Amino acid sequence: MPDHTSNGMQCSEFDLLLSDVLDGVLTGVQLDRFQAHAGVCKVCGPLLAEAEAGRNWLKGLTEVEPPASLVNNILASTTGVDTQRLRVTVRAPQPHVTWLERVQASLFGYLEPIWATVRQPRFAMSFGMAFFALSVGLTVAGVKPADLRQISLRPAVIRLTYFRTQASVVRYYENIRVVYEVESLARQVKRNVTPAEPGPTRQKDHKNDTTQQPEPKQERNYTQTDNHLILASAPLGPSNRDLPVVSVTTYRRFV
Amino acid sequence: MEDVQVVAMLVRRCIAGDAAAWEEIVQTYNRRIYNICYRFAGSGDDAEDLTQEVFIKMYRTLPSYDHTKGAFVTWVTTITRNLLVDHFRKTKQDRMTDSMDSTASEHEDAQPLSEQIQDQSAPPDAHVRRREVSESVHAALAKLSPELREAVILRDLQDMDYREIATVLKVPEGTVKSRINRGRAELGRLLQRTYRQVM
Repeated sequence: MPDHTSNGMQCSEFDLLLSDVLDGVLTGVQLDRFQAHAGVCKVCGPLLAEAEAGRNWLKGLTEVEPPASLVNNILASTTGVDTQRLRVTVRAPQPHVTWLERVQASLFGYLEPIWATVRQPRFAMSFGMAFFALSVGLTVAGVKPADLRQISLRPAVIRLTYFRTQASVVRYYENIRVVYEVESLARQVKRNVTPAEPGPTRQKDHKNDTTQQPEPKQERNYTQTDNHLILASAPLGPSNRDLPVVSVTTYRRFV
Repeated sequence: MEDVQVVAMLVRRCIAGDAAAWEEIVQTYNRRIYNICYRFAGSGDDAEDLTQEVFIKMYRTLPSYDHTKGAFVTWVTTITRNLLVDHFRKTKQDRMTDSMDSTASEHEDAQPLSEQIQDQSAPPDAHVRRREVSESVHAALAKLSPELREAVILRDLQDMDYREIATVLKVPEGTVKSRINRGRAELGRLLQRTYRQVM
């Protein structure tokens, strides 16, 4: 602020007295000098008007209400005391959530990512084909949409349907069992009536065997050189030391 | 404003571990501290956090309070002011970034406050009008420098006398008066320009 002198008062003195004037504590000659300076000085005059206006604006401000949870939070963060009384006064009313809404919310949480993936346009053709296949399948199976209207969802009807279905399944199972028992009995009777046949003779030469059946496993324990069979695990006697060493290409089984 | 002996007793009970005494102090001063923080910081969320910080600091330093050196409310206000200044310094970088991002300039002539505040024209209800004026003053207050802002808040909103303010701000009374005058004048200038544009 430039320090001008007007009517015997400097601007610095005016600045010091300004707050006293606004507070209403300045009276008498001092106040007259002050007002005279304000009327003459081009700096201090507007300053007085602006300061008075600013003070009036500020006086118009009302106190704001602190949040209801503030005291409780302060006590919890200082003493760690979360008094029941405060909690009761502060607690906000919780909206009532039914179990159905809870289930829906949890299902939505699980299904939302899947649904977001499925919603992509590239799957539109797949869904169209699936719907077409389903409708064809239902038509072939004889299911008509008109029949669905006849379905009753009353608990008694549902219970009756359940028991009927259960009875038919049980009946089907029992019938199948009877059929199998009869077949088994017939086979047994046939086996008893037919005379026993000699067992099949073992063919030593398998060169012409075209059945593609694997060789009996028992023979794989032996090393074969021409028609001479040697037990692979048998200790070699003096007469067998000169036998040629052959490579074994069959499975090895260590007993 | 406060009975010195009663407050001194309350503080002694707090130091001795009386939770009820501490709760009484919190109940008594939370509104005042919240209002100072709200007017200085400008946001309700910041004010809530800062108020909690003030009480935490107060709780820790309560044994250091000496009732012979000054009133409890002055001591509380000093703690609040110091925390607010710290907060202002910490968030200075954020505010600078915000001001660079925003299109509005802080310069006086760039954009009048009326354009930053909602339309003031002919509010149908006096209550709405009062609320809008209050918001305008709050917004204008946030535009003052922190030195001027704290001075006018303590004087005009908290009704503290100059000596107490001088103690809190740790400056002479003459400086306090000068800051209050400049703060009021700056606020008046901002709001006069705003409402001249509206009217």
